[in-house]
Amino acid sequence: MTLRMLPASLLITALVSSLAVVYSSHVVRGLYSKQQVVEYRQWELQEDYSRLLLEHSTLASPHRVVSIAQEDLAMTSPQLSIHRVVQTQNGRQR
Amino acid sequence: MSRSKKTSAKPALWRLMFIAFCLFVLFGLLVSRLVVLQVVDQDRGARFLQQQGAMRSVRTAEIPAYRGLVTDRRGEPLAVSTPVVSIWANPQQLKDSVQIARLAMTLGQTPEALSERINLYSDKQFMYLARHQTPDQARAILDLGLPGVRGEREYRRFYPAGEVVSQLVGLTNVDGEGIAGIELAYNEWLRGQTGKKRYLKDLHGDAIRNIGVIEQARSGKALALSIDLRLQYLQHRVLQRAMVETGATAGAAVTLDARTGEILAMTNHPVFNPNSRDGFDYAATRNRVVTDVFEPGSTMKPLTLVAALESGEFTIDSLIDTSPGRIRVGRKVLPDPRNYGEITVSRVIEKSSQVGVTKIAQQLGHESILDVFQRFGLGEPSSIGFPGERSGVLPNRQRWSDIEKVTLAFGYGLTATPLQIAHAYAVFANKGSQVPLTLLKRSESESVANRQVISAEIADQVLEVLNRVTGSEGTAQKARVEGFQVGGKTGTVHKVGEAGYLDDQYVALFVGVAPIEDPRFVTAIVVDQPKGDNYGGGAAAAPIYSAITDGVLRLHNALPAREDESPQFVGLGGGV
Repeated sequence: MTLRMLPASLLITALVSSLAVVYSSHVVRGLYSKQQVVEYRQWELQEDYSRLLLEHSTLASPHRVVSIAQEDLAMTSPQLSIHRVVQTQNGRQR
Repeated sequence: MSRSKKTSAKPALWRLMFIAFCLFVLFGLLVSRLVVLQVVDQDRGARFLQQQGAMRSVRTAEIPAYRGLVTDRRGEPLAVSTPVVSIWANPQQLKDSVQIARLAMTLGQTPEALSERINLYSDKQFMYLARHQTPDQARAILDLGLPGVRGEREYRRFYPAGEVVSQLVGLTNVDGEGIAGIELAYNEWLRGQTGKKRYLKDLHGDAIRNIGVIEQARSGKALALSIDLRLQYLQHRVLQRAMVETGATAGAAVTLDARTGEILAMTNHPVFNPNSRDGFDYAATRNRVVTDVFEPGSTMKPLTLVAALESGEFTIDSLIDTSPGRIRVGRKVLPDPRNYGEITVSRVIEKSSQVGVTKIAQQLGHESILDVFQRFGLGEPSSIGFPGERSGVLPNRQRWSDIEKVTLAFGYGLTATPLQIAHAYAVFANKGSQVPLTLLKRSESESVANRQVISAEIADQVLEVLNRVTGSEGTAQKARVEGFQVGGKTGTVHKVGEAGYLDDQYVALFVGVAPIEDPRFVTAIVVDQPKGDNYGGGAAAAPIYSAITDGVLRLHNALPAREDESPQFVGLGGGV
């Protein structure tokens, strides 16, 4: 009885396993395509990020800050004579 | 009739059987061959066949890894990788296209030049049309939809601070590998790991389907340097202006935090623009602060003073007779600018008197002076891991002539980099102990093994003498900073040419410590070949020190000392 069942059960096991292979490779493909989309998004974000980083550091570069302060806003470093040293409870500050 | 039929049918059946048998055997051979190929002989069978198939359709492509960010100590970016697209083409497919003119226009090239290049590579499968295009430019080219033209993702390095930190941060090559400076020294750390993915291609080489990622790309790690970009910029600006004013051929400046061993700023002249490789001058990529060695000259006199104080034979107030203003050692006569008469040891350093130092050196002997130099780290590498870093040399000879014993005391006969000189002075600024240098930001909790080089008392005495050098009798009055007490030592060294010392070419030096009451910042300045009459350390290098230190102290909120006014008390509730 059991011996006669063996080929059939083997056949069914093989069938189930091959269906599982089909299913899992389908899932893998789905996940991979999702990963591709996410990777592309990452690429785009990185593009934006580094562009913003460069823009920010260009706008905030000491060179630009100094020239705006001196030329547009007519600022100068304070002379020592107009420095006031104040003391706080935590210590002294310039 | 039937008989004849029977006789004729008999051999036919036999033949049929024979043919059938032969076919069966052939079929069996085929099957067994298949079994051999698929199962038994793996190397020349299944695996070989799979390889052959894959060679024709499966390709691996690299996934570029994001190179880590280099920032200053406050997080300002110094080197940034941005995504770009390199356009490449298969010349075989492109050469017959009628749209080459349009492509050339989009690429910004002339159609003739492009055709010529395509013809040059016409027997190849691959050529770059344009590397490192911005994503927008690349889209415009790829949208033309030309046969065989494809884009490849890459990263390109940008240096937002440009020439201000160019020699320090260094460069990468077009493939994103570090070739100079920090980019080279920390290449492994910054570059990350290139990934690999597999895809199926069609006849034309276009990717049809991605099969999968073999190896994920891993991004490089970020690196925070000890540099303060604000200070670096300030130092750069001061140094460049001074180079123009003094007409010097080269210059270098470095500022250290003596307590933590961090290098806060490091600049050089000449400079180069790391964002453009046109008209590139390789000499300008040298980070002179760590790669150039020269004789430190009079800047070593405070170290001789240390040897003198340690011997117990001198105090800073011991009197030394320097008259008549010159002294004969062997065949050489060492002169002072004028006869200073009988002066204190402190005044000898203030005036940088050759006669005074010679007398001290003769009494001490060269061994104790050499010992101090060694303890201060001269002659050994500063070990910051910078490519091309040099260590200078201390003399190591069997026999010392009288003049050599003496000139050692004022800094001739040994060589050092500007960084080593600054590191030696850091001992005075840190109560006699020396902290190992670093180019990377140290966290406050990080404990570093520092080395007690001299006693704190001697360090304080030397500091006092250094302060007097900037005083009314000293050689470095131009090093003063308004509102602060600073100290330092000038040096003026003859340049060495092919036939010994050159009479008319000098290196001007200044090394200083600030502020004296609470010493912390050490700055070394080197000006190579200043022109005109102001060639000395006090005239050419000290003003640079003053301007830089003014900025250093301001940026670190140091408290200016003013005698005329006591601090006002402001009662802020919670404090600031």
